[in-house]
Amino acid sequence: MMNTKRVISTIEKNYILNNLRKEERIDGRGLWEYRDWTVKPDVITSAEGSADVTLGDTRIITGLKYDVGTPFPDLPEEGVCTFMAELLPLASPIFERGPPSEQSIELARVVDRGIRHADCVQTKKLCIKANKAVYILFVDLYVINYSGNLIDVGGISSLTTLISSHIPEGKWVDDQIEWTGKYLTGETIVNELPIVTTYGKIGDVIFLDPTLPEELVCDGKISISVTEDKIVSIQKSGLATFSLEEINMLTKKSMEMGKKLRKELNLWQYKVKI
Amino acid sequence: MPLIIKDEYPEKLFREDGKRLDGRDKHELRPIKMEVGVLKNADGSAYLEWGNNKIFCAVYGPRDVHPHYLAKPDKGILRVFYRMATFSVFDRKRPAPGRREKEISMVLGDCLEPLLFLELYPGNSFEVFINVMDADGGTRCACVTAAALALADAGVPMRSLVTAVAVGKIDGELVTDLSGIEDKAGDADLPCAITWFNEEISLLQFDGSMDLKEFDEVLTLAKNALIKIHEIQLNTLKNKYIAIQEEYSGGENKK
Repeated sequence: MMNTKRVISTIEKNYILNNLRKEERIDGRGLWEYRDWTVKPDVITSAEGSADVTLGDTRIITGLKYDVGTPFPDLPEEGVCTFMAELLPLASPIFERGPPSEQSIELARVVDRGIRHADCVQTKKLCIKANKAVYILFVDLYVINYSGNLIDVGGISSLTTLISSHIPEGKWVDDQIEWTGKYLTGETIVNELPIVTTYGKIGDVIFLDPTLPEELVCDGKISISVTEDKIVSIQKSGLATFSLEEINMLTKKSMEMGKKLRKELNLWQYKVKI
Repeated sequence: MPLIIKDEYPEKLFREDGKRLDGRDKHELRPIKMEVGVLKNADGSAYLEWGNNKIFCAVYGPRDVHPHYLAKPDKGILRVFYRMATFSVFDRKRPAPGRREKEISMVLGDCLEPLLFLELYPGNSFEVFINVMDADGGTRCACVTAAALALADAGVPMRSLVTAVAVGKIDGELVTDLSGIEDKAGDADLPCAITWFNEEISLLQFDGSMDLKEFDEVLTLAKNALIKIHEIQLNTLKNKYIAIQEEYSGGENKK
Protein backbone atom coordinates (compact mmCIF):
# COMPACT_ATOMS: atom_id res chain seq x y z
CA MET A 1 0.00 0.00 0.00
CA MET A 2 1.14 3.48 -0.78
CA ASN A 3 1.28 5.55 2.36
CA THR A 4 -1.06 8.30 1.38
CA LYS A 5 -1.21 11.26 3.69
CA ARG A 6 -2.55 14.73 3.38
CA VAL A 7 0.79 16.29 4.21
CA ILE A 8 4.25 15.53 2.92
CA SER A 9 7.55 15.99 4.78
CA THR A 10 9.71 19.05 4.12
CA ILE A 11 12.53 16.77 2.97
CA GLU A 12 10.32 15.16 0.34
CA LYS A 13 8.97 18.54 -0.70
CA ASN A 14 12.51 19.87 -1.17
CA TYR A 15 13.48 16.72 -3.05
CA ILE A 16 10.57 17.16 -5.46
CA LEU A 17 11.28 20.87 -5.86
CA ASN A 18 15.04 20.45 -6.38
CA ASN A 19 14.37 17.85 -9.05
CA LEU A 20 11.86 20.13 -10.76
CA ARG A 21 14.42 22.99 -10.80
CA LYS A 22 16.69 20.66 -12.76
CA GLU A 23 13.72 19.99 -15.08
CA GLU A 24 13.42 16.47 -13.72
CA ARG A 25 10.49 14.68 -12.11
CA ILE A 26 10.60 12.12 -9.32
CA ASP A 27 9.10 9.53 -11.71
CA GLY A 28 11.63 10.30 -14.45
CA ARG A 29 9.38 12.32 -16.74
CA GLY A 30 10.20 15.64 -18.32
CA LEU A 31 8.32 18.79 -17.28
CA TRP A 32 5.89 18.61 -20.22
CA GLU A 33 5.22 14.90 -20.41
CA TYR A 34 2.10 12.95 -19.49
CA ARG A 35 2.18 9.59 -17.75
CA ASP A 36 0.89 6.69 -19.90
CA TRP A 37 -2.75 6.79 -20.95
CA THR A 38 -5.02 3.77 -21.39
CA VAL A 39 -8.57 4.22 -22.66
CA LYS A 40 -11.21 1.47 -22.68
CA PRO A 41 -14.64 2.41 -24.07
CA ASP A 42 -18.04 0.83 -23.36
CA VAL A 43 -17.06 -1.17 -20.29
CA ILE A 44 -20.39 -1.02 -18.42
CA THR A 45 -23.23 -3.12 -19.84
CA SER A 46 -26.01 -1.26 -18.00
CA ALA A 47 -24.86 2.20 -19.08
CA GLU A 48 -25.69 3.86 -22.42
CA GLY A 49 -22.04 4.78 -22.81
CA SER A 50 -19.01 4.34 -20.58
CA ALA A 51 -15.25 4.52 -20.33
CA ASP A 52 -12.47 3.26 -18.13
CA VAL A 53 -9.53 5.65 -18.40
CA THR A 54 -6.20 5.49 -16.58
CA LEU A 55 -3.34 7.95 -16.50
CA GLY A 56 -0.46 6.36 -14.63
CA ASP A 57 -2.17 5.00 -11.51
CA THR A 58 -5.10 7.43 -11.60
CA ARG A 59 -8.22 5.66 -12.78
CA ILE A 60 -11.74 6.92 -13.46
CA ILE A 61 -14.75 4.93 -14.64
CA THR A 62 -17.45 7.06 -16.22
CA GLY A 63 -20.93 6.03 -17.29
CA LEU A 64 -23.80 7.72 -19.07
CA LYS A 65 -27.49 7.29 -18.30
CA TYR A 66 -30.31 9.18 -19.95
CA ASP A 67 -33.77 10.30 -18.98
CA VAL A 68 -36.49 12.13 -20.87
CA GLY A 69 -37.70 15.34 -19.31
CA THR A 70 -39.12 18.76 -20.14
CA PRO A 71 -36.63 21.35 -21.42
CA PHE A 72 -35.77 24.59 -19.66
CA PRO A 73 -38.31 27.32 -20.67
CA ASP A 74 -35.57 29.59 -22.09
CA LEU A 75 -34.04 26.76 -24.18
CA PRO A 76 -37.12 24.86 -25.43
CA GLU A 77 -35.27 22.98 -28.19
CA GLU A 78 -32.20 21.91 -26.28
CA GLY A 79 -31.44 18.79 -24.30
CA VAL A 80 -29.43 18.83 -21.09
CA CYS A 81 -26.11 17.21 -20.23
CA THR A 82 -25.08 17.10 -16.58
CA PHE A 83 -21.88 15.95 -14.91
CA MET A 84 -21.33 14.47 -11.47
CA ALA A 85 -18.16 13.18 -9.89
CA GLU A 86 -17.69 10.97 -6.89
CA LEU A 87 -14.37 10.48 -5.12
CA LEU A 88 -14.89 6.95 -3.83
CA PRO A 89 -13.27 6.10 -0.48
CA LEU A 90 -11.75 3.09 -2.18
CA ALA A 91 -9.70 5.40 -4.40
CA SER A 92 -7.66 6.80 -1.52
CA PRO A 93 -7.63 6.82 2.29
CA ILE A 94 -7.92 10.62 2.17
CA PHE A 95 -11.35 10.45 0.51
CA GLU A 96 -14.22 10.19 2.94
CA ARG A 97 -17.70 8.94 2.29
CA GLY A 98 -20.65 11.26 2.64
CA PRO A 99 -21.99 14.21 0.66
CA PRO A 100 -19.84 15.46 -2.26
CA SER A 101 -16.64 17.20 -1.17
CA GLU A 102 -15.34 20.48 -2.61
CA GLN A 103 -12.79 18.52 -4.63
CA SER A 104 -15.38 16.27 -6.27
CA ILE A 105 -17.62 19.23 -7.10
CA GLU A 106 -14.67 21.08 -8.63
CA LEU A 107 -13.78 18.03 -10.73
CA ALA A 108 -17.32 17.71 -12.09
CA ARG A 109 -17.68 21.44 -12.71
CA VAL A 110 -14.35 21.94 -14.46
CA VAL A 111 -15.01 18.95 -16.74
CA ASP A 112 -18.55 20.25 -17.34
CA ARG A 113 -17.41 23.77 -18.21
CA GLY A 114 -14.75 22.53 -20.61
CA ILE A 115 -17.31 20.46 -22.47
CA ARG A 116 -20.20 22.97 -22.27
CA HIS A 117 -18.34 25.98 -23.67
CA ALA A 118 -16.66 24.02 -26.46
CA ASP A 119 -19.89 23.23 -28.31
CA CYS A 120 -19.01 19.59 -27.71
CA VAL A 121 -22.44 18.11 -26.94
CA GLN A 122 -24.98 19.02 -29.63
CA THR A 123 -27.86 19.79 -27.27
CA LYS A 124 -30.18 20.60 -30.19
CA LYS A 125 -29.83 16.97 -31.36
CA LEU A 126 -31.07 15.88 -27.94
CA CYS A 127 -34.52 17.38 -28.52
CA ILE A 128 -37.44 15.01 -29.15
CA LYS A 129 -40.19 17.68 -29.25
CA ALA A 130 -39.67 21.37 -28.54
CA ASN A 131 -41.15 22.52 -25.21
CA LYS A 132 -42.28 18.96 -24.44
CA ALA A 133 -39.56 16.34 -24.34
CA VAL A 134 -35.78 16.40 -24.46
CA TYR A 135 -33.07 13.98 -23.42
CA ILE A 136 -31.31 14.64 -20.16
CA LEU A 137 -27.88 13.02 -20.12
CA PHE A 138 -26.17 12.16 -16.85
CA VAL A 139 -22.43 11.68 -17.14
CA ASP A 140 -21.22 10.32 -13.81
CA LEU A 141 -17.53 10.02 -12.98
CA TYR A 142 -16.33 7.55 -10.36
CA VAL A 143 -12.73 7.87 -9.20
CA ILE A 144 -11.46 4.31 -8.66
CA ASN A 145 -7.84 5.12 -7.85
CA TYR A 146 -6.38 8.52 -6.99
CA SER A 147 -2.84 9.30 -7.96
CA GLY A 148 -3.07 12.95 -8.97
CA ASN A 149 -4.51 14.95 -11.88
CA LEU A 150 -8.14 13.85 -11.74
CA ILE A 151 -9.30 16.66 -14.02
CA ASP A 152 -7.43 15.58 -17.17
CA VAL A 153 -8.50 11.97 -16.70
CA GLY A 154 -12.08 13.11 -16.03
CA GLY A 155 -12.05 15.11 -19.27
CA ILE A 156 -10.83 12.25 -21.46
CA SER A 157 -13.10 9.82 -19.63
CA SER A 158 -16.18 12.01 -20.22
CA LEU A 159 -15.35 12.51 -23.90
CA THR A 160 -14.85 8.78 -24.46
CA THR A 161 -18.15 8.10 -22.69
CA LEU A 162 -20.00 10.58 -24.89
CA ILE A 163 -18.35 9.28 -28.07
CA SER A 164 -19.14 5.65 -27.21
CA SER A 165 -22.75 6.49 -26.24
CA HIS A 166 -25.81 4.86 -27.78
CA ILE A 167 -29.16 6.27 -26.66
CA PRO A 168 -32.48 4.84 -27.89
CA GLU A 169 -34.01 7.21 -30.44
CA GLY A 170 -37.50 8.52 -29.72
CA LYS A 171 -40.05 10.23 -31.97
CA TRP A 172 -42.95 12.41 -30.88
CA VAL A 173 -46.15 10.74 -32.11
CA ASP A 174 -49.65 11.61 -30.86
CA ASP A 175 -48.43 13.55 -27.86
CA GLN A 176 -46.17 10.80 -26.62
CA ILE A 177 -42.80 9.28 -27.31
CA GLU A 178 -42.52 6.33 -29.64
CA TRP A 179 -39.22 4.47 -29.69
CA THR A 180 -37.97 3.89 -33.21
CA GLY A 181 -35.67 0.97 -32.32
CA LYS A 182 -32.73 2.97 -33.64
CA TYR A 183 -30.02 4.67 -31.61
CA LEU A 184 -28.59 8.15 -31.30
CA THR A 185 -24.87 7.54 -31.19
CA GLY A 186 -21.89 9.57 -30.07
CA GLU A 187 -21.19 10.43 -33.69
CA THR A 188 -24.40 12.50 -33.82
CA ILE A 189 -24.21 13.94 -30.33
CA VAL A 190 -20.56 14.97 -30.13
CA ASN A 191 -19.08 17.76 -32.24
CA GLU A 192 -15.87 19.33 -30.89
CA LEU A 193 -13.38 17.50 -28.70
CA PRO A 194 -12.23 19.83 -25.92
CA ILE A 195 -9.06 18.67 -24.20
CA VAL A 196 -8.31 19.80 -20.67
CA THR A 197 -4.70 19.94 -19.52
CA THR A 198 -3.62 20.58 -15.94
CA TYR A 199 -0.36 22.17 -14.80
CA GLY A 200 1.05 22.29 -11.30
CA LYS A 201 3.17 25.10 -9.90
CA ILE A 202 5.75 24.80 -7.13
CA GLY A 203 7.78 27.92 -6.39
CA ASP A 204 8.51 29.26 -9.85
CA VAL A 205 8.47 25.92 -11.64
CA ILE A 206 5.48 24.90 -13.76
CA PHE A 207 4.95 21.36 -15.02
CA LEU A 208 2.32 19.21 -16.73
CA ASP A 209 0.26 16.39 -15.15
CA PRO A 210 1.04 16.55 -11.41
CA THR A 211 1.19 13.19 -9.63
CA LEU A 212 -0.19 12.74 -6.12
CA PRO A 213 2.99 13.72 -4.21
CA GLU A 214 3.43 16.68 -6.54
CA GLU A 215 -0.19 17.69 -5.99
CA LEU A 216 0.27 17.49 -2.23
CA VAL A 217 3.31 19.81 -2.24
CA CYS A 218 2.38 22.14 -5.09
CA ASP A 219 1.27 25.69 -4.39
CA GLY A 220 -1.48 25.55 -6.96
CA LYS A 221 -2.73 24.21 -10.24
CA ILE A 222 -4.23 25.56 -13.41
CA SER A 223 -6.48 23.62 -15.79
CA ILE A 224 -7.01 24.89 -19.31
CA SER A 225 -9.56 23.45 -21.75
CA VAL A 226 -8.98 24.00 -25.44
CA THR A 227 -10.68 23.03 -28.67
CA GLU A 228 -8.72 22.84 -31.91
CA ASP A 229 -8.42 26.62 -32.21
CA LYS A 230 -9.92 28.21 -29.07
CA ILE A 231 -9.51 28.36 -25.33
CA VAL A 232 -12.84 27.49 -23.74
CA SER A 233 -12.36 27.25 -20.00
CA ILE A 234 -9.73 27.89 -17.35
CA GLN A 235 -9.67 27.04 -13.68
CA LYS A 236 -6.94 28.19 -11.34
CA SER A 237 -7.01 26.38 -8.04
CA GLY A 238 -4.80 26.42 -5.00
CA LEU A 239 -2.81 29.28 -3.54
CA ALA A 240 -0.30 29.75 -6.35
CA THR A 241 -0.29 32.99 -8.32
CA PHE A 242 0.61 33.08 -11.99
CA SER A 243 2.25 35.95 -13.88
CA LEU A 244 0.76 37.20 -17.16
CA GLU A 245 3.71 35.73 -19.09
CA GLU A 246 3.16 32.35 -17.43
CA ILE A 247 -0.53 32.34 -18.34
CA ASN A 248 0.30 33.22 -21.95
CA MET A 249 2.92 30.51 -22.08
CA LEU A 250 0.47 27.96 -20.62
CA THR A 251 -2.36 28.78 -23.01
CA LYS A 252 0.03 28.22 -25.92
CA LYS A 253 1.26 25.02 -24.31
CA SER A 254 -2.34 23.83 -23.84
CA MET A 255 -3.12 24.28 -27.54
CA GLU A 256 -0.01 22.26 -28.32
CA MET A 257 -0.82 19.53 -25.77
CA GLY A 258 -4.46 19.45 -26.92
CA LYS A 259 -3.41 18.85 -30.50
CA LYS A 260 -0.95 16.17 -29.43
CA LEU A 261 -3.42 14.31 -27.18
CA ARG A 262 -6.23 14.48 -29.73
CA LYS A 263 -3.92 12.80 -32.24
CA GLU A 264 -2.37 10.33 -29.79
CA LEU A 265 -5.57 9.08 -28.20
CA ASN A 266 -7.66 9.28 -31.40
CA LEU A 267 -10.91 9.21 -29.39
CA TRP A 268 -13.15 9.01 -32.46
CA GLN A 269 -12.08 5.37 -32.91
CA TYR A 270 -14.34 4.53 -29.95
CA LYS A 271 -17.63 5.51 -31.60
CA VAL A 272 -20.09 2.61 -31.68
CA LYS A 273 -21.50 1.22 -34.87
CA ILE A 274 -25.10 0.06 -34.68
CA MET B 1 -25.98 -2.38 -24.66
CA PRO B 2 -29.69 -2.45 -23.83
CA LEU B 3 -31.76 -3.64 -26.76
CA ILE B 4 -35.08 -3.17 -25.02
CA ILE B 5 -36.32 0.29 -24.16
CA LYS B 6 -38.70 -0.59 -21.35
CA ASP B 7 -37.51 -2.77 -18.51
CA GLU B 8 -39.95 -5.54 -19.50
CA TYR B 9 -39.90 -9.10 -18.24
CA PRO B 10 -40.05 -11.99 -20.68
CA GLU B 11 -42.95 -14.46 -20.31
CA LYS B 12 -40.72 -17.50 -20.22
CA LEU B 13 -37.34 -17.80 -18.55
CA PHE B 14 -36.36 -20.99 -20.38
CA ARG B 15 -35.68 -21.29 -24.07
CA GLU B 16 -37.19 -23.96 -26.34
CA ASP B 17 -34.08 -26.13 -25.94
CA GLY B 18 -34.48 -26.16 -22.15
CA LYS B 19 -31.60 -23.77 -21.50
CA ARG B 20 -31.90 -20.46 -19.68
CA LEU B 21 -32.23 -17.17 -21.54
CA ASP B 22 -28.48 -16.53 -21.41
CA GLY B 23 -27.78 -20.04 -22.71
CA ARG B 24 -26.84 -21.61 -19.38
CA ASP B 25 -27.90 -25.00 -18.03
CA LYS B 26 -29.98 -25.01 -14.87
CA HIS B 27 -27.04 -25.33 -12.52
CA GLU B 28 -24.36 -23.62 -14.53
CA LEU B 29 -22.66 -20.58 -13.05
CA ARG B 30 -22.02 -17.41 -15.02
CA PRO B 31 -18.35 -16.77 -15.91
CA ILE B 32 -16.48 -15.49 -12.84
CA LYS B 33 -13.25 -13.50 -12.95
CA MET B 34 -11.47 -12.45 -9.77
CA GLU B 35 -8.42 -10.28 -9.17
CA VAL B 36 -6.79 -9.07 -5.98
CA GLY B 37 -4.56 -6.08 -5.29
CA VAL B 38 -6.11 -3.97 -8.05
CA LEU B 39 -6.28 -0.71 -6.07
CA LYS B 40 -2.89 0.66 -5.07
CA ASN B 41 -4.04 3.05 -2.34
CA ALA B 42 -6.04 0.54 -0.32
CA ASP B 43 -4.61 -1.90 2.24
CA GLY B 44 -6.30 -4.70 0.34
CA SER B 45 -8.55 -4.81 -2.68
CA ALA B 46 -10.38 -7.08 -5.06
CA TYR B 47 -12.11 -6.80 -8.41
CA LEU B 48 -14.81 -9.27 -9.32
CA GLU B 49 -16.58 -9.82 -12.60
CA TRP B 50 -19.47 -12.25 -12.21
CA GLY B 51 -21.47 -12.37 -15.42
CA ASN B 52 -22.25 -8.72 -16.04
CA ASN B 53 -21.64 -7.73 -12.41
CA LYS B 54 -18.53 -5.62 -12.00
CA ILE B 55 -17.47 -4.94 -8.44
CA PHE B 56 -14.56 -3.13 -6.80
CA CYS B 57 -13.83 -3.71 -3.15
CA ALA B 58 -11.26 -1.98 -0.94
CA VAL B 59 -10.29 -2.66 2.67
CA TYR B 60 -8.66 -0.20 5.05
CA GLY B 61 -7.52 -1.22 8.48
CA PRO B 62 -6.82 -1.71 11.22
CA ARG B 63 -7.03 2.07 11.63
CA ASP B 64 -8.48 4.67 13.98
CA VAL B 65 -12.21 4.82 14.29
CA HIS B 66 -13.77 7.95 12.91
CA PRO B 67 -16.07 9.27 14.41
CA HIS B 68 -14.37 8.31 17.63
CA TYR B 69 -17.48 7.51 19.70
CA LEU B 70 -18.09 4.40 17.56
CA ALA B 71 -14.90 2.77 18.90
CA LYS B 72 -15.33 -0.14 21.29
CA PRO B 73 -12.86 -0.57 24.16
CA ASP B 74 -12.98 -4.38 24.10
CA LYS B 75 -12.91 -5.13 20.37
CA GLY B 76 -12.43 -3.71 16.92
CA ILE B 77 -15.32 -2.83 14.67
CA LEU B 78 -16.04 -3.81 11.08
CA ARG B 79 -17.87 -1.33 8.89
CA VAL B 80 -19.08 -2.24 5.43
CA PHE B 81 -20.28 0.27 2.86
CA TYR B 82 -22.10 -1.17 -0.14
CA ARG B 83 -22.76 1.40 -2.87
CA MET B 84 -23.98 1.19 -6.42
CA ALA B 85 -22.87 3.46 -9.25
CA THR B 86 -25.64 5.59 -10.74
CA PHE B 87 -25.18 3.88 -14.12
CA SER B 88 -25.03 0.32 -12.81
CA VAL B 89 -28.78 -0.28 -13.15
CA PHE B 90 -31.48 0.15 -15.81
CA ASP B 91 -32.92 3.43 -14.49
CA ARG B 92 -30.31 5.85 -13.22
CA LYS B 93 -29.92 5.42 -9.46
CA ARG B 94 -29.82 8.56 -7.36
CA PRO B 95 -26.27 9.31 -6.22
CA ALA B 96 -27.08 9.39 -2.48
CA PRO B 97 -27.18 5.98 -0.73
CA GLY B 98 -30.69 4.63 -0.46
CA ARG B 99 -32.44 2.36 2.03
CA ARG B 100 -31.59 -0.76 0.03
CA GLU B 101 -27.87 0.03 0.03
CA LYS B 102 -27.84 0.70 3.76
CA GLU B 103 -29.62 -2.56 4.52
CA ILE B 104 -27.31 -4.59 2.29
CA SER B 105 -24.27 -2.91 3.91
CA MET B 106 -25.52 -4.12 7.27
CA VAL B 107 -26.28 -7.64 6.03
CA LEU B 108 -22.82 -7.88 4.46
CA GLY B 109 -21.19 -6.63 7.65
CA ASP B 110 -22.99 -9.27 9.71
CA CYS B 111 -21.95 -11.93 7.20
CA LEU B 112 -18.25 -10.98 7.25
CA GLU B 113 -17.77 -10.26 10.95
CA PRO B 114 -17.67 -13.92 12.14
CA LEU B 115 -14.56 -14.38 9.99
CA LEU B 116 -12.44 -11.83 11.80
CA PHE B 117 -10.63 -11.83 15.13
CA LEU B 118 -11.97 -8.42 16.10
CA GLU B 119 -11.24 -9.01 19.79
CA LEU B 120 -7.55 -8.58 18.90
CA TYR B 121 -8.09 -4.98 17.73
CA PRO B 122 -9.76 -3.00 20.53
CA GLY B 123 -10.37 0.62 19.58
CA ASN B 124 -9.66 0.03 15.89
CA SER B 125 -11.77 -0.36 12.81
CA PHE B 126 -11.72 -2.25 9.57
CA GLU B 127 -13.57 -0.54 6.78
CA VAL B 128 -14.74 -2.35 3.66
CA PHE B 129 -15.86 -0.21 0.74
CA ILE B 130 -17.71 -2.06 -2.00
CA ASN B 131 -18.71 -0.31 -5.21
CA VAL B 132 -20.92 -2.02 -7.75
CA MET B 133 -20.08 -0.46 -11.10
CA ASP B 134 -22.33 -2.73 -13.18
CA ALA B 135 -25.17 -4.83 -11.76
CA ASP B 136 -26.97 -7.85 -13.15
CA GLY B 137 -28.50 -9.83 -10.29
CA GLY B 138 -26.85 -11.37 -7.28
CA THR B 139 -24.75 -8.34 -6.42
CA ARG B 140 -24.87 -8.93 -2.68
CA CYS B 141 -23.48 -12.44 -3.16
CA ALA B 142 -20.80 -11.17 -5.47
CA CYS B 143 -19.98 -8.45 -2.92
CA VAL B 144 -19.51 -10.96 -0.08
CA THR B 145 -17.23 -13.04 -2.28
CA ALA B 146 -15.20 -9.97 -3.30
CA ALA B 147 -15.05 -8.56 0.24
CA ALA B 148 -13.64 -11.83 1.59
CA LEU B 149 -10.92 -11.69 -1.06
CA ALA B 150 -10.10 -8.05 -0.30
CA LEU B 151 -9.87 -8.75 3.45
CA ALA B 152 -7.51 -11.64 2.77
CA ASP B 153 -5.51 -9.46 0.39
CA ALA B 154 -5.18 -6.82 3.12
CA GLY B 155 -3.59 -9.47 5.35
CA VAL B 156 -6.35 -9.24 7.93
CA PRO B 157 -6.28 -12.40 10.12
CA MET B 158 -9.31 -14.48 9.14
CA ARG B 159 -10.76 -17.80 10.25
CA SER B 160 -11.46 -18.68 6.62
CA LEU B 161 -12.95 -17.20 3.48
CA VAL B 162 -16.65 -16.79 2.95
CA THR B 163 -18.38 -17.45 -0.36
CA ALA B 164 -21.88 -16.52 -1.46
CA VAL B 165 -24.22 -17.43 -4.28
CA ALA B 166 -27.89 -16.94 -5.08
CA VAL B 167 -30.06 -19.92 -5.85
CA GLY B 168 -33.77 -19.83 -6.61
CA LYS B 169 -36.74 -20.96 -8.58
CA ILE B 170 -37.72 -19.75 -12.04
CA ASP B 171 -40.72 -21.03 -13.98
CA GLY B 172 -41.13 -23.75 -11.33
CA GLU B 173 -37.59 -25.12 -11.71
CA LEU B 174 -34.76 -24.81 -9.22
CA VAL B 175 -31.71 -23.03 -10.64
CA THR B 176 -28.28 -21.84 -9.47
CA ASP B 177 -26.89 -18.29 -9.80
CA LEU B 178 -29.83 -16.12 -10.86
CA SER B 179 -29.22 -13.36 -13.36
CA GLY B 180 -30.86 -9.93 -13.05
CA ILE B 181 -33.88 -10.81 -15.15
CA GLU B 182 -34.35 -14.20 -13.47
CA ASP B 183 -34.21 -12.48 -10.11
CA LYS B 184 -36.94 -10.00 -11.06
CA ALA B 185 -39.23 -12.31 -13.06
CA GLY B 186 -38.57 -15.57 -11.18
CA ASP B 187 -40.54 -17.22 -8.39
CA ALA B 188 -37.97 -17.29 -5.60
CA ASP B 189 -34.52 -15.95 -4.81
CA LEU B 190 -32.28 -17.19 -2.02
CA PRO B 191 -28.90 -15.54 -1.54
CA CYS B 192 -26.76 -17.48 0.92
CA ALA B 193 -23.14 -17.55 2.07
CA ILE B 194 -21.04 -20.20 3.79
CA THR B 195 -18.15 -19.47 6.13
CA TRP B 196 -15.71 -22.27 5.44
CA PHE B 197 -14.12 -22.56 8.92
CA ASN B 198 -17.32 -24.11 10.26
CA GLU B 199 -19.17 -24.72 6.97
CA GLU B 200 -22.16 -22.85 8.33
CA ILE B 201 -24.44 -20.32 6.72
CA SER B 202 -23.58 -16.73 7.53
CA LEU B 203 -25.83 -14.86 5.08
CA LEU B 204 -29.35 -15.97 4.30
CA GLN B 205 -32.20 -14.07 2.77
CA PHE B 206 -35.20 -15.47 0.98
CA ASP B 207 -37.92 -13.91 -1.13
CA GLY B 208 -40.57 -15.84 -2.98
CA SER B 209 -42.30 -19.12 -2.27
CA MET B 210 -41.07 -22.70 -2.10
CA ASP B 211 -42.32 -25.89 -0.45
CA LEU B 212 -40.25 -27.73 2.16
CA LYS B 213 -38.93 -30.35 -0.27
CA GLU B 214 -37.71 -27.72 -2.70
CA PHE B 215 -36.13 -25.75 0.09
CA ASP B 216 -34.17 -28.79 1.20
CA GLU B 217 -32.92 -29.36 -2.32
CA VAL B 218 -32.07 -25.75 -3.04
CA LEU B 219 -29.63 -25.45 -0.15
CA THR B 220 -27.72 -28.49 -1.41
CA LEU B 221 -27.58 -26.85 -4.83
CA ALA B 222 -26.18 -23.73 -3.23
CA LYS B 223 -23.49 -25.68 -1.42
CA ASN B 224 -22.39 -27.45 -4.61
CA ALA B 225 -22.04 -24.10 -6.39
CA LEU B 226 -20.26 -22.51 -3.42
CA ILE B 227 -17.58 -25.22 -3.40
CA LYS B 228 -16.74 -24.32 -7.01
CA ILE B 229 -16.62 -20.57 -6.34
CA HIS B 230 -14.51 -21.07 -3.20
CA GLU B 231 -11.99 -22.92 -5.35
CA ILE B 232 -11.72 -19.88 -7.67
CA GLN B 233 -11.29 -17.59 -4.65
CA LEU B 234 -8.47 -19.69 -3.25
CA ASN B 235 -6.75 -19.90 -6.62
CA THR B 236 -6.98 -16.13 -7.07
CA LEU B 237 -5.24 -15.55 -3.75
CA LYS B 238 -2.63 -18.24 -4.40
CA ASN B 239 -1.89 -16.88 -7.87
CA LYS B 240 -1.03 -13.49 -6.40
CA TYR B 241 1.73 -15.04 -4.31
CA ILE B 242 2.83 -17.41 -7.09
CA ALA B 243 3.26 -14.34 -9.32
CA ILE B 244 5.35 -12.59 -6.65
CA GLN B 245 7.41 -15.75 -6.08
CA GLU B 246 8.05 -16.14 -9.80
CA GLU B 247 9.05 -12.52 -10.11
CA TYR B 248 11.74 -12.92 -7.46
CA SER B 249 12.94 -16.47 -8.20
CA GLY B 250 12.91 -15.64 -11.92
CA GLY B 251 15.34 -12.82 -11.19
CA GLU B 252 17.64 -15.16 -9.25
CA ASN B 253 17.68 -17.81 -11.95
CA LYS B 254 18.78 -15.26 -14.51
CA LYS B 255 21.85 -14.49 -12.42
